[in-house]
Amino acid sequence: MPNITLTVNGTQHHLDVEPRWLLADVLREQLNLTGTHLGCEQGVCGACTILLNGRPARSCLTLAVTADGADIVTVEGLAKDGELHPVQEAFWQEHALQCGFCTPGFLMTSVHFLNENPNPTRPEIREALSGNLCRCTGYQHIVNAVERAAETMRKGANHAISQD
Amino acid sequence: MAVHESWIGKALPRVEDRALIQGQGQYVSDIRFDGQWVMALVRSPHAHARITRIDTEAAAALEGVRAVITARDMEAMRRGLPESGPVAPPALAYEEVFYVGEPVAAVLADNRYLAEDGADLVQVHYEPLPVLTSAEQAAKDEVILHPSIGSNVFDAFHITSGDGREALKQADHIIRATLQMGRVSPQPMEPRAIAASYNPVDQTLVVYHATQSVHRAQERIAEITGLDKDHVRVIAPEVGGGFGVKNGSYPEEALVTYLAKHFKRPIKWAGDRFEEFLSTSQEREQTHHVELGLNKDGTIVALVDTYYQDNGAYPGGGAMVSRNTARNLPGPYRIPHMHIDGYTVFTNKVMQRPYRGAGRPQGHYIIERMLDRAADELGLDRVDIRMKNLIRPDEFPHRTGTDSVYDSGDYPADFSDLLELIDVPAFRRRQQEERQKGIRLGLGLSNCVEISAGFGFEGVRLTLMEDGRVMLATGATGQGQGHRTALAQIAADALQLPVERIVVMEGDTARIDKGIGTFGSRTIIMAGNAATMASEGLVAKAKEMAATLLEAAVDDVVFSEGQFSVQGVPSVSMDWTALAERVAQTGETPLSHEDVFSSGVATYGFGSHAAIVRVDEKTGETRIERYVIVHDTGKVVNPLLANGQVIGGTVQGLGSALYEEMIFNEDGQPLTTSFLDYRLPGATESPDIEIHHRDYPAPGNPAGYKGVGEAGIIPSQAIILSAVEDAFNDRGLKLDFAPVTPARLFQALTREETK
Ligand code: FES
Ligand code: FES
Repeated sequence: MPNITLTVNGTQHHLDVEPRWLLADVLREQLNLTGTHLGCEQGVCGACTILLNGRPARSCLTLAVTADGADIVTVEGLAKDGELHPVQEAFWQEHALQCGFCTPGFLMTSVHFLNENPNPTRPEIREALSGNLCRCTGYQHIVNAVERAAETMRKGANHAISQD
Repeated sequence: MAVHESWIGKALPRVEDRALIQGQGQYVSDIRFDGQWVMALVRSPHAHARITRIDTEAAAALEGVRAVITARDMEAMRRGLPESGPVAPPALAYEEVFYVGEPVAAVLADNRYLAEDGADLVQVHYEPLPVLTSAEQAAKDEVILHPSIGSNVFDAFHITSGDGREALKQADHIIRATLQMGRVSPQPMEPRAIAASYNPVDQTLVVYHATQSVHRAQERIAEITGLDKDHVRVIAPEVGGGFGVKNGSYPEEALVTYLAKHFKRPIKWAGDRFEEFLSTSQEREQTHHVELGLNKDGTIVALVDTYYQDNGAYPGGGAMVSRNTARNLPGPYRIPHMHIDGYTVFTNKVMQRPYRGAGRPQGHYIIERMLDRAADELGLDRVDIRMKNLIRPDEFPHRTGTDSVYDSGDYPADFSDLLELIDVPAFRRRQQEERQKGIRLGLGLSNCVEISAGFGFEGVRLTLMEDGRVMLATGATGQGQGHRTALAQIAADALQLPVERIVVMEGDTARIDKGIGTFGSRTIIMAGNAATMASEGLVAKAKEMAATLLEAAVDDVVFSEGQFSVQGVPSVSMDWTALAERVAQTGETPLSHEDVFSSGVATYGFGSHAAIVRVDEKTGETRIERYVIVHDTGKVVNPLLANGQVIGGTVQGLGSALYEEMIFNEDGQPLTTSFLDYRLPGATESPDIEIHHRDYPAPGNPAGYKGVGEAGIIPSQAIILSAVEDAFNDRGLKLDFAPVTPARLFQALTREETK
């Protein structure tokens, strides 16, 4: 069984993984990070989105072995010392989640998007979220949340979430 | 006088969210029992076939596979599932399969990868049988799917009100149409899942279940496993959306729970998206042959409707959907005479079961579309014909003729507000101007009544915990509605406590003995009123205790601003925390009170909706430019959550109006089994919804709550078809099938041209 190294939310792990195991399953079952959800395993819903070397990636379409040496951030890595990331805080305040199943994917996508585009319009936000599906909220409150988070982040400190 | 602030009515962010936004919410798929086996299923690739042989040796020999189960080897798997109506499906198909996706064998292995490897190695031999894919065809009974009940039509009903069909003769005009709705797959983002662990020592089974009703599941599982009900504990942890389909009996529930007990091993099944498309119940598919009789001025005289519901291979909950369709046919309009014949018919597809709306969208689709037709054919305005027939407030209580008594609101006033917000004359001008430039805009209008609750009960148990907080337990399990926040708000008011002092526990049969569950937008109405009643009971018990502790007569104890004190001696008082401490010191059992709210009175919410669409004639794509709702929510507990429900429901409905349709070929093969073929609305297609409120408390329950979960989805198919037709009103476009996908729109336009 191949041995790989993954840095997940700042912690380095050496793992024996079967070549065919998906990164999502390794995160969920071997590292017990169950915040990354599997909504389709078809690459469409975005629930499994993580940041892989700083970019959003679908962990259901990624074989864990191909991520050897990668730096990964999952939803569990967003809050720092009990303090929520502004995107998390905004999702909460704006009621941007109902069942919460899609939420980790939306959070990861939004965090990355706001780092790239700190001052987006509503249509730009909708475009950025178009790769994530939510069956509960109708998206409106999610868009509100991303708008609010953008504002907080523009005003506030540096919320970079890279590992080094 | 109590001067504490009221929590009811506040737009509080939810208490549930802190865990969910940090990835700490626990869903069934996140549960891992030590030593668990994971289940994968071999499902039928045929819509109708006889099973001639099943070879399991190769699968059983695979390393990591622990067992391969078929109904041939394990007789219990042939038994009909509980709560399944006149034809109960078995846990595993035995001699015959009736739909693509029906489970035929179960493979248990150390992990999902191995279980699927095993499933691939199971060889099932089939002899194909004739396939039924159309309800009207199936109703002819040329091939009978389940001989035990002698006909494919397993539910037929007839409703007559007033003079029924005869009344059509009194009408100046009769408008006739055949209107259809395609099959919708509800698709919550979390697929169905269940995990069970059996303890042979005390013979108890713990089941983690993505279900909408833990207590009903507990009863079914007791029946399946032969255990006493109180040896079965069902917990619904976080549930990732339900919308009706996670309510009721499925083969996987029987398999996981029975096999966990049989093998004395924890067993888990977490379905994937493909299985969700194949095996989770679907809805909406109906064909209506309608006649609407009207007078010259547009007044409705009579409605006659014969319809067929393509129910799939088993009853599921389909008859309820079909009957609820009839109940909703009048919508908010006055229809003096009706005759309705409804037929619910077996075909070789996965079964129907209530999906968000459950007959409400179907009924409204028919009446709203018929009003559009009538207006167009009689040369009346689509607005005027609605205003003329809307029930007025002075007509309440209004008997619909289909078993409802509308009781509150002001439908014409809400509709007028909507028209003003839209500014219809201004829109008409813009529509003409844009049309000159080749841009097609359309306006759709629809009114709807949301009938909620009206049956059964729901209970709430309150317990004063040692630290002075109050635990609220209810059987009304949520799937994202925010009950832990809304019910806390209700109890906080009655107990005069800050909302964060109320801890709501839902979805665990160990915390409360009885419950019905969350569906049909009933929880705030039922559990909400129960929460107030239980709070009053707890206050009464607390007063008695305070009387003893304060050495006063009970009648002299007053409860105000969260303090128990003696009448006239406000300085001698104690709050909930002090009371809890004293109870803890004495070693007595904590103060607790359970109450149940039961009611046969439904609530009737209302909404007026308008949609402005922009249709691209070349691609057939329809975009929503504006969507406005004037809504009667009744008494609102939390406006943030109530609006969330309305917006979420509306957008979900836009899916079934524009994109979502399960397509089956003539062999009964489902062709749309991924999110690539079956398209859900995404962020770019979904509009911002404008909601305006006109809330009238429900007269039928003490607190005045009304349902809100289905409000948004009810008019969606009607309104979008209406709007798209309006965009082509110069060409007399007639749409008779929902959803109006680009392909269907293109066909309809071509049909118009060749006429
Ligand atoms: S689970 Fe990866 S995209 Fe849906
Ligand atoms: S909150 Fe349920 S799917 Fe998005």
